[in-house]
Amino acid sequence: MNPEANSDEAREMDLARQKDEAREKIDACADSAALKDVERHYLGRKGIVASALAGIGQLPPDERKDAGQNANRLKQAIQELVDARARVLDETSLAAERSGAGFDPTLPAARLESGSLHPVTQVTRELEDLFLSMGYSVLDGPEVELDHYNFEALNIPADHPARDSHDTFFCTAEGSKDAAEQLVMRTHTSPVQVRAMEQLEPPFRVIAPGRCFRQETTDASHDHTFYQMEGMVVGRDISVGHLIGAMRTLLRGIFKQDLDVRLRPGYFPFVEPGFELDARCPFCEDGCSVCKRTTWIELLPCGLVHPNVLRAGGIDSDIWSGFAFGLGLSRLVMLRYGVDDVRHLFGGDLRFLEQF
Amino acid sequence: MYVSYRWLARHVDLSGIDAHQLADDLTLSTAEVEGVELFAPQLSDVVVGHVVSREAHPDADKLSVCKVDVGGGDGEPLQIVCGAPNVAAGQKVAVATVGTVLPGDFKIKKSKIRNVESRGMICSVRELDIGDEHDGIWVLPTDATAGSTVAEALDILDWAIEIDNKSLTHRPDLWGHRGIAREIAAIHGRELLPLDLRPPETGNAPAFPVHVESDACSRYLGLRVEGARAEPSPDWLRWLLLAVGQRPIDLIVDLSNFVMLDLGQPNHTFDASRLSSEGIRVRNARSSETLTTLDGETRKLAESDLLICSGDDPVALAGIMGGEASKVGEDTSQLLLEVATFDAATVRRTSARLGLRTDSSARFEKCLDPTLPIAAAGHFARLLAAVQPEVRFPAVLTDVGNWRDPALEINLQTERVRTALGADIPDPAIVDILTRLQFDVSRTNDTELRVGVPSARGIKDVTTAQDLIEEVGRIYRYGNIPEQFMQAAVEPPRPDERRELVRRIQDRLSGTARFHELLSYSFIDDDTLTRLGWTDRPHVRVRNPMDQEESRVRRAVLPSLLGDLEANRRARSEIRFFEVGKGYLPEHANDRGEPREVHQLAMLWAAAPDRGGERFDDDRFHQLLGVVEDLFSYLGLPGELVWAVPAEAPSWAHPAQVLATGDGSGEPLALVANLEPGLARAIGLRDELASDVAVAEISIDALLAAPRGVRPFRPVPRYPGVKLDVAIDLPEATPAADLVAVLVEAGKKQVADTELFDVYRGKNVEPGRKSLAYHVLLQSEAKTLSDKDQTKYLARLEKGLTRIDGRLRK
Repeated sequence: MNPEANSDEAREMDLARQKDEAREKIDACADSAALKDVERHYLGRKGIVASALAGIGQLPPDERKDAGQNANRLKQAIQELVDARARVLDETSLAAERSGAGFDPTLPAARLESGSLHPVTQVTRELEDLFLSMGYSVLDGPEVELDHYNFEALNIPADHPARDSHDTFFCTAEGSKDAAEQLVMRTHTSPVQVRAMEQLEPPFRVIAPGRCFRQETTDASHDHTFYQMEGMVVGRDISVGHLIGAMRTLLRGIFKQDLDVRLRPGYFPFVEPGFELDARCPFCEDGCSVCKRTTWIELLPCGLVHPNVLRAGGIDSDIWSGFAFGLGLSRLVMLRYGVDDVRHLFGGDLRFLEQF
Repeated sequence: MYVSYRWLARHVDLSGIDAHQLADDLTLSTAEVEGVELFAPQLSDVVVGHVVSREAHPDADKLSVCKVDVGGGDGEPLQIVCGAPNVAAGQKVAVATVGTVLPGDFKIKKSKIRNVESRGMICSVRELDIGDEHDGIWVLPTDATAGSTVAEALDILDWAIEIDNKSLTHRPDLWGHRGIAREIAAIHGRELLPLDLRPPETGNAPAFPVHVESDACSRYLGLRVEGARAEPSPDWLRWLLLAVGQRPIDLIVDLSNFVMLDLGQPNHTFDASRLSSEGIRVRNARSSETLTTLDGETRKLAESDLLICSGDDPVALAGIMGGEASKVGEDTSQLLLEVATFDAATVRRTSARLGLRTDSSARFEKCLDPTLPIAAAGHFARLLAAVQPEVRFPAVLTDVGNWRDPALEINLQTERVRTALGADIPDPAIVDILTRLQFDVSRTNDTELRVGVPSARGIKDVTTAQDLIEEVGRIYRYGNIPEQFMQAAVEPPRPDERRELVRRIQDRLSGTARFHELLSYSFIDDDTLTRLGWTDRPHVRVRNPMDQEESRVRRAVLPSLLGDLEANRRARSEIRFFEVGKGYLPEHANDRGEPREVHQLAMLWAAAPDRGGERFDDDRFHQLLGVVEDLFSYLGLPGELVWAVPAEAPSWAHPAQVLATGDGSGEPLALVANLEPGLARAIGLRDELASDVAVAEISIDALLAAPRGVRPFRPVPRYPGVKLDVAIDLPEATPAADLVAVLVEAGKKQVADTELFDVYRGKNVEPGRKSLAYHVLLQSEAKTLSDKDQTKYLARLEKGLTRIDGRLRK
């Protein structure tokens, strides 16, 4: 174009043409990246509008004003077109995003691989916390135990027939001294009663969860290693009524409901009187496999601490009395989770453990 | 132990108390009843039939066709084909009609036998499972009413009540029906029916000589019997024995058993004609002596065994079992009845050592009342004479030994009863209960009773006031005691540091670290120990293990984790396990012989081998090391732990890929290692199960001893820091820790963190050298750091590196 021929009209024409051309390009933009390119092409630092403005200085002075105005009008017009197009593209992409195409919420959740606490640990902790909240302390005792603590001090002297039912593993410590006493794998947690009396001044309340061992053939409901929890309270004038109260509280804590209980005679040489505490079966109303169709489940052997045992623990049985109980933790775990084979507890099978 | 309901009814009126009620009463007041079973229920399924006629079968010589009246509604006799030779018209027989199911799940159906229809079966004793005879059908007494059940007709409807032996351990008085009946009488306030228990009446011939040479026999009675016949017992005796599961044999044996099961006093009959004229000697066995017992076994004896000898020849194992040689046979007519009291522990030891448990040993080992033998001897004599009136007891009863009556008196404060039971039982009720239990109660003053304890109870379980409190409580019924709450001072329980520490460990590992807690047995198998080379280390040994291959108690927890690895690896490509447990070290036993107990945490992380190409620390060892460091930080162990390759590593550890940390005194706090490669293969981790396995052993004991505390809060930085990445080329042997020291020092306290992110060897790094790349965070508490600070840092670093022959890579 001959610049000499430039007239206002021609400039107007040129402006309109530029604007149309820009509109065409802008409207053709399918996404914001393309739009950015077009915007830069016209409005960027080295874009068309910028070079037009830069060229104004070389125009004759009387044309400069118009040319400047024209360039600014073009700039403004294009900016408006760009903004309008940007709004349209924004709407479109938002609509596309909202359509949810390419995303399937019904696919399965990502698996969070977690760790686990052994169910025996979980149930033990629950009981520990219950008893801690009632002012009991938690004690530990050795799994390899002296005959003295496992039997003798519990009023089960050598040749006592009650030893038969204990199916004891007898131990020898290799390289031990000749004078050493007889060792056994403890058959119950009751030896901790005597250890507690030796360590603590009455009155006291303790529990002692832990492993016990019996030399008996294993099957789905018996394992040679199992967990028990011992409990012992020593105080003044402790009665069978207190024992019943404490056991009912314990059962409420375990089963989260008030269960009927019955106390019947049970023979354990370290308590006198000794009881078996049965609870009304929490799983049925008229007999099921858990309660062997009796509607009662045998849960807690217990009793008032035998004066001989208090004496063996160095406690004056004329001043102090107490009660003691034992709870089968392994059995409770089985009841709680419906585990059908006690041997799973020590099986070390990840497919079992990872369920807890 | 089984007791028969009908048998109990010989001792106490049971009207209004059925067998189930009786079982409940015993369970709630006396001993645990394990079950109640109808005795021989098949006898309630078969009916009495009257054989109206018997004719020969037309097509079979040995069969007969009988018309049997079973009292049916239409009165028409059933036609039954019978193969027994002894069936005859006029007999009363036991008939299983069509539809009856006999023992062995044998259902009677209508059938045709050689073309003759048969509607039922005439049963033999064996078919009814109540005896062995099968030569012919069972012929019932003629007065049995046709159509009634056999059980009713013979009046033998009975229940066997099974009592848990364990709950009778302390009650020798309950090992016979009369003792149980005494309990029922006390519970229901009924009279115990009288029983003649006076000594036997005998002639005046000289007593049979008996010499007791051991304290283990405190009393020995010998009763001479003449003219007894070993014939079948009368029905009443047979049915009672059958009801409690005893097989009737002959009158002599059956009465001996009956007296034991009635009164709880075992006894033994010898064929007197086979005994030496020197008489009986009761003495301890000599080592290497043997005795063939009634069951035909020849037993090797020990000096602690007590023997009954004829002259010097052993004829019975005292209180356990008789000998074959002096056994009563069919031709026996002269007997010596032995009723004795043997020491409980002696009987128990011998019986346990020989693995020979009998009804007799079970009773003796409970500690029997020495006043009981004389009553039992009288009972036996009178029962025998009632069946065979011609028997004679010609000689004076031998009664030797050294015993004293265990009857005693106990003073009982009635307030103590109320306090111990927690129940407000008035004095008269206490007196009533004790009296019903056959205690002899009188008053010493307003607050105290004098209680006479009969011999049967004084021998074992009632010797103190506490024992009497139990007597009152159980008859009062524990269920009637109200629930009470203890009053106690409010104080926090004793802190238990170890338990709290273990809980935190379990929480961190099962939570953040995503490990699974497992529990493994305390016994460790020989295979594992052999692989570890630990078989010669001292262990606590179980002398009677379940399995000879698992006789050792573990010294450490970690080896237990290796056991299930192969099976788990088949199921899962990755395994993360931990266990908190105990080990026992017998070489560190105390004076009493208690082995030292160690508390340990063992961890294991196994996974299919690394694919390669990941970061330098993406291997099980370093991942596990990270878990351990995180755990220690969580537990509040102060500062950075120094890990070093230990001079000596356990045999489960890879000899070169192992680190330990600790305070340097004694056992390390923690060991982290890759599993020894040979061990990994030996436990089956090869081929498709090949795994990278890292393990860690942490001493809970050392953790408890280590200083732990709360990590103090560090202020959140106020000014942005500068992150820069540096790569340093340094000699292979220089530990990373030395480099970190230089990195930190060059920062003049501005280095807030360093993190290794790459390790490189190869192109552009000379052989024998390595390149470690770190993110370094510079941070100031006073100002925002600039590019200039970064430049200065790099300059100082270059200088510092010269000390360790390091070069900053550009």
